[in-house]
Formats: sequence, structure tokens, C-alpha cells
Amino acid sequence: MKVSTALCSAALGVGLGTLLLPGAALADTTVSPATTPVGGTVVLTATTCNPKSGDALFRVTGPNRDQNVRSTTAAAGGGLSAELFTAGFTLGTYTVAATCGDGSSAGTATFTVTPIGGAPAGSGGDSRDTGTLAAGGTLLGTALAGAVILIRRRRPVSTVA
Amino acid sequence: MWWRRTLPAVVALLGVTGLGLITVGLTADPARPPRPPADAPRRTHPAPDLAPLSRAAPVRVQITAIGVRAEVVPVGADAAGVLEVPPLDKPALAGWYRHGVSPGETGNAVLVGHVDSPAGPAVFFDLGRLRAGQQIQVTRADAQVATFTVDDVQSYPKDSFPSTLVYGPADAAGLRLITCGGRFDASTGNYVDNVVVFATRTA
Repeated sequence: MKVSTALCSAALGVGLGTLLLPGAALADTTVSPATTPVGGTVVLTATTCNPKSGDALFRVTGPNRDQNVRSTTAAAGGGLSAELFTAGFTLGTYTVAATCGDGSSAGTATFTVTPIGGAPAGSGGDSRDTGTLAAGGTLLGTALAGAVILIRRRRPVSTVA
Repeated sequence: MWWRRTLPAVVALLGVTGLGLITVGLTADPARPPRPPADAPRRTHPAPDLAPLSRAAPVRVQITAIGVRAEVVPVGADAAGVLEVPPLDKPALAGWYRHGVSPGETGNAVLVGHVDSPAGPAVFFDLGRLRAGQQIQVTRADAQVATFTVDDVQSYPKDSFPSTLVYGPADAAGLRLITCGGRFDASTGNYVDNVVVFATRTA
């Protein structure tokens, strides 16, 4: 158990190095882009794998997921690559560990699946000003009460006339 | 009797004023949130060398400069992949994007809050007034307080939201605050922009 923990943190270190130094020689596994909204596609590339020794295998692990993806194409800049479709992925950061067809490890990289777009964080307020409404209502109510009193007082006068 | 002649006038005046106030009250424009200036200076100080904190959920966020003191609850994203926000009937709460890092860990922690609600201005109403150099304090469930200093405040149309800058990996402990802003589109019931505060941990 302890060994695997140590391996994992070493692997993460390599991943971080990859992110900090894009295009550097030590980048033997890359994910492009490193961040994708959920449902987007990322390209996994094992830059040091020789296509002649067979398909590379990318092991994708992260929140709620552990799956293997087989390389489908020879990458333009050398090595082997595969496309990964992130529909249905839980949001978070995933680690990709590549193994070449000859069984040799081709390092790891990470990518992050993010929410789509911005946040619906406002309702636009309320276009009703409740204080003014209450004041208006009170005045209108008083006016109506006054009108009722006036009409009642005038009734006897009008019958006499 | 003098009041027999003045009372109808008073009643009429009350009625007209009352109707007028009701009309004004129904059509009043609610207060609109402040927008960050397009040419706001960016803070470019390097992040101090602080040991990253372990993972612990944030429980409170405090921004003295704009009078924010809010409880924080964890949020995720809905089935369509859109970031969740705390319910509109609890506009004083801020949300922490729980699939990302926690404030103080290496990487960018994301907090989201409403700009307004039917009840008026909400927790992050004044986010657009924050300026580079001002501070944000986040209290975590492990009782540690992480202090962040604002680097930049920007406004982005929602369809060109900078996902990588907000959620993407980073080699320092950062904080991102998100709320709505820009023009309010009454036809969709949404603001067209998101205001994003970029901050780096400094204590």
C-alpha cells in the first residue's frame, strides 16, 4: 500500500513537470487541452512510444473513473495518440498513465474536467419597489375610506333636495 | 362647514398620489451591480513561498473591503455541466466548487455567489468593486484561515468564460470568486456576463 502511494506521488510530480514545461523533452505523455468543459474531447499522446511495437494504452483514473483507452493514431510529432470524449465524466482532475506497446511506461499527465461556461448567479433583482408600493397602497386605501364617508354623509342631503 | 368642501379635494389628492406611487413602485428599476473597469491595474507581485494546506472545505468567506461575511456551502454542477449556485432563496450564501481544490491547497479554489435575488442585492453584489491588492479571508473546516490578495477583477461574456484560468491547474494556491454581471437580459432572465476575481494566497 505504501509503495503505491509513493509511486502515485512520484507520478504526480512528473505530471506537474509536464504542465510547467510544455513541450519539454521530459513530456512523454501529454493531454491537450489540459482543461476541458465536461463533454469536450481531449487528445492523449504518448510521445515516446514507437508505433512499430504496438498500440499504446492510456489508463485514465480520477473521480469515479478508471478506464483504459487504446491509441488509435500515430501522432504528428511522434508517438501514439487517442481521443477521449469526456461526456458523462464527473468534474475534477484526472491522471493519464501511458504504457507503450512494448510494455514500457511512458509517464503520466493530468487534465481537468470543468463545468461548462459561467455561472447563473443572479436573478436581476425584483423590478417591484415594495416600500413605494406599500406607501401608495396606504394612501389609496385612505382615499377610498374617505370617499365612502363622503358619499354616506351626502346621501341624506340629496334625498331632501 | 369648511371641511365639506376641502375633504373631497383631500380624498382626491390622496387617491391620485397613492395611484402614482403604486405605478412608480411597479416599474422601478432594481439597483444594478458595479462593473469592474476594463483598465483596472493588475497586481503582479510574485506569490509568497507558502507551504500548501491540506484539503479542508471552506466554511466562511470574509471580504472586508466590500463588507462581505458569508457562510460557504459545497456546490457541484448540474446534469448539463453548468456550475451550481446556492439556492436563490438563500442569497447570502456562497458556494464552493467541491470538485476542485479547497482554498489553501495548491491550485485554484472556486467560490461562487449570487449578485442579486428577488429580495435585492445578494452576497457577491459588490464583487465588481474589488481592486487589486485587497484581501479575501477564507475560514476552513479545520479552523485554518487562508488569506488571499486580489490580483485582478475581470468581466467575461458567459459564452467566452475563461474555464482554464478559473478551474485550470496552477502551481500556487489561488482563489477565484465568480458572480454575475454586465447587462441584465430580461428576455432570458440572466445577466450576460460573469465577473471573476483572481486572487493568490498571501498568508
